[in-house]
Amino acid sequence: MTRAVSSTCPYCGVGCGIVLNVDENDRIRWVDDDPVNLSSTGMLCVKGRFGTTFVNHPDRIQTPLIKRNGRFEEATWDEALDVVANRLLEHRGHFGSFASAKATNEDAFVQQKFVRLVMGTNNIDHCTRLCHSPSVEAMLQQLGSGATSNSYIDYEEASCIVLVGCDPGSNHPVIASRMRRAIDTLGTKLVVVNPRRIEMCDRADLFLQPKAGTDVALFNGIARAVLDDGLADVSFIEGRTEGFDAFVSAVREATVEECADLCGVAAEEIRAAARFFARPPARRGQPPELRPGSCLVWGMGITQHTQGTDNAHSLLNLALLAGQLGRPGCGVSPLRGQNNVQGCGDAGCIPDSLPGYQPYGDAAIAPFEQLWGAGLPRSPGLKATDMVEQIASGTIRAMYIVGENPLLSEPNLHHATDLIRALDFLVVQDLFLHETAELADVVLPACSFAEKDGTFTNSERRIQRVRRAIAPVGLARPDWEILCDVARRMAPGAGVDPAQFAYGSASEVFDEFARLMPQIRGINYERLEGEGGIQWPCPSPDHPGTRYLYADSFPRGLARFVPVRQRAVAEETPDDEYPLVLNTGRVLYHWHGGTITRRVAGLMEQVDTVPVAVHPADAAVAGIQEGDPVLVFSRRGRMGGKAVVTDAVQPGNLFVPFVKLQDSAANFLTNNVYDEVSRIPEYKVCAAKIEKKRERKGAFAR
Amino acid sequence: MKLNGVSVEATGSLLDTVLAAGIALPHLCKDDNLPVIGACRTCLVEADGRIVAACSTPAAGVQECATDSERAVRIRRGVLELTAAMQSGPAGAAGGPRSAESLEAYASHAPRPGQYGLRSGTHADLSNPFFSFHEDACILCARCVTACQELQHIGAIGIAGRGHTARVTPGAGVSFRESICTSCGSCVAACPTSALRPKG
Ligand code: SF4
Ligand code: SF4
Ligand code: FES
Repeated sequence: MTRAVSSTCPYCGVGCGIVLNVDENDRIRWVDDDPVNLSSTGMLCVKGRFGTTFVNHPDRIQTPLIKRNGRFEEATWDEALDVVANRLLEHRGHFGSFASAKATNEDAFVQQKFVRLVMGTNNIDHCTRLCHSPSVEAMLQQLGSGATSNSYIDYEEASCIVLVGCDPGSNHPVIASRMRRAIDTLGTKLVVVNPRRIEMCDRADLFLQPKAGTDVALFNGIARAVLDDGLADVSFIEGRTEGFDAFVSAVREATVEECADLCGVAAEEIRAAARFFARPPARRGQPPELRPGSCLVWGMGITQHTQGTDNAHSLLNLALLAGQLGRPGCGVSPLRGQNNVQGCGDAGCIPDSLPGYQPYGDAAIAPFEQLWGAGLPRSPGLKATDMVEQIASGTIRAMYIVGENPLLSEPNLHHATDLIRALDFLVVQDLFLHETAELADVVLPACSFAEKDGTFTNSERRIQRVRRAIAPVGLARPDWEILCDVARRMAPGAGVDPAQFAYGSASEVFDEFARLMPQIRGINYERLEGEGGIQWPCPSPDHPGTRYLYADSFPRGLARFVPVRQRAVAEETPDDEYPLVLNTGRVLYHWHGGTITRRVAGLMEQVDTVPVAVHPADAAVAGIQEGDPVLVFSRRGRMGGKAVVTDAVQPGNLFVPFVKLQDSAANFLTNNVYDEVSRIPEYKVCAAKIEKKRERKGAFAR
Repeated sequence: MKLNGVSVEATGSLLDTVLAAGIALPHLCKDDNLPVIGACRTCLVEADGRIVAACSTPAAGVQECATDSERAVRIRRGVLELTAAMQSGPAGAAGGPRSAESLEAYASHAPRPGQYGLRSGTHADLSNPFFSFHEDACILCARCVTACQELQHIGAIGIAGRGHTARVTPGAGVSFRESICTSCGSCVAACPTSALRPKG
């Protein structure tokens, strides 16, 4: 007999409802969709449906491991936890921690509590640094909240959707389905902005293909066209915003034509995009009393640049200029990558604020210190990318990494590997012995999503339950329980009451989290059980949750225009030696670096080598044909892959997903240069060259 | 409204009303998750003297509905016999989560075997890593096609050909693997037989 357990998909930020059908041997036999889930409305993609077999993969770490004389030895929990607690006590003061956007809110909350309270530092961060930190920075500055303003239902009620630097067909498939539903059945307009032709372009009314790194020029150009053609929402600007004049003078520095020249998009198309976005024609069924709305949706094509924060500002400026915020069917959405990247930030796993994005001022910190019974650090911590770079200076000498594999996700992997190796002490807590775990001193086996209770918060701010469906694999334990055990061992030495880490259940952890984060104060497990997922803000128990933000006001009062100007397109641009631009991204059949999806046979069957997309003209120059094995080089490294010759990329450009397959990964090539404000690396642009791989014939050839 | 002689409240379609009243009625092409298809005719009932498909008939306006009239049961049995004959492949092949629906429907109507010739199509498509398609178990209810088109808005599969040659296909001469199918599995989840079955 199988039993069915409702839970939430562990892959992407869409957060689809899944129903795990588990047999008597604790194997997941089938994953069903969940028609009552309001985020996924009965849909799933291939990863959610067929991609959860990694849970039972034989590679799962079964016991704690301690490295002795360069080799891992199996250990008991007590041995391993003692080593971790003792070594970390020595390292207070030069310690940093990565939390996991794949783990639950409860895991994240306990981890930041441990880091702040026991380790006495704000050096905690997670992968948001590598994906949407520029969006969050820009939104906090301009609007006062770093979250997606709307809900997926708004894509279905929009009259126009603008997709910028994202590929929802591959990375957020169920959002893509919901958008296709609107486009196919309601005549919703679609504008795609991407240097690469993505699948959604098939349905696009307008496809803009700017040159890499020229987004500010493009969006300032669109803003200029909105101004020139009288499409601005004057009453919204007057009543709800500030800083308009400075913004207008910056935008007026260049004409639409001048912007067009810079970004390589025709002036006419810039004007058309301005019209679609600012004044879209009403979709079928648009309520006549509501102005037709436009949703602005973006991904890493905007953020992973040295001017990532500027790019995000230019988008938000446009949304303010056209007044496309605070009504049904409009809004701004940075598409979040990981299943719980929203929640991990909400729970405070970021260096510059406490849970709920509360700054380190006395007023905000007081309730924490009171509840936790000890003083907390008040200076902002190091951001993830800086933590790794600061290993070189000795500022960071020990790290505790939960559910992340920086040695696949950081840029310039050779350099990052050297740094991580230089740590005095490294703890990794995860499911698999991945590249980073191999370098650890202690490895602690963590439960997968299927083995524990908790909550994830998806891209539309919906907090949803994760439920234990199978028994833990081997000796694995939930992340928050492990962290509590470490914290209790260290508490006396750190002057903290061990009772601070004595939770009886995930639900108790959530209650403390909700008590300290005003935006979710009205939510508890009982409500989630009865009502399904709830969207924050939900400040009180009788509050139904919030579909879209900013209906009447912004958290900072008035929204603010931030003028931005196009700077150098990228830190490293093509030259004679490396004549091509390398752009990175993802494919449908793999998850990020691939640590998980490489362990799902069917997904590997679909894609087993890294596809390298190259334009036919560049392929011809290099003598490359479809399917040829190729090598790609940058100043920092090389990788192998299989050529996909396609005009979906522009001449002079290569596109490589950053999944690691056959020991090859794009991040050996990417550039470790950063956006000043958010410290995101420039994954999207570096100079590269491509060659056909020479056949090697000989005794060892396979 | 009167349902099998008992007063009930009409909600949605006749099928909704019947199921809400706790009365079993086959409905092989109607999935909770999908819009009405109305292709399988296994949900026929007698409404105010006419035989209608319960799934596509609004309950409002119907005075008397019978699922158990001799005529309705006889016609449904005929439809189910024909449907069962389309499932000519080996019995008991493991299917997806809804695959038992067809078997339960047949069992509930005591079909007489051998009334109709078995379906002849035996095409199988094993190309997708996650699921396979077996024509010899397909009853052409169109749930998979509807899931792909109207739930996921992908449109990777359709029903090509008519009558005896009709077949669910991702395109002439194209396998699932070669098609625009994204392997989302919504078709497998919808299939009421073992025609679309998960692998492993
Ligand atoms: S769309 Fe995202 S959340 Fe939904 S099933 Fe796919 S990976 Fe999971
Ligand atoms: S698995 Fe393929 S054929 Fe089936 S519904 Fe999804 S896209 Fe369509
Ligand atoms: S369920 Fe009514 S016709 Fe198929």
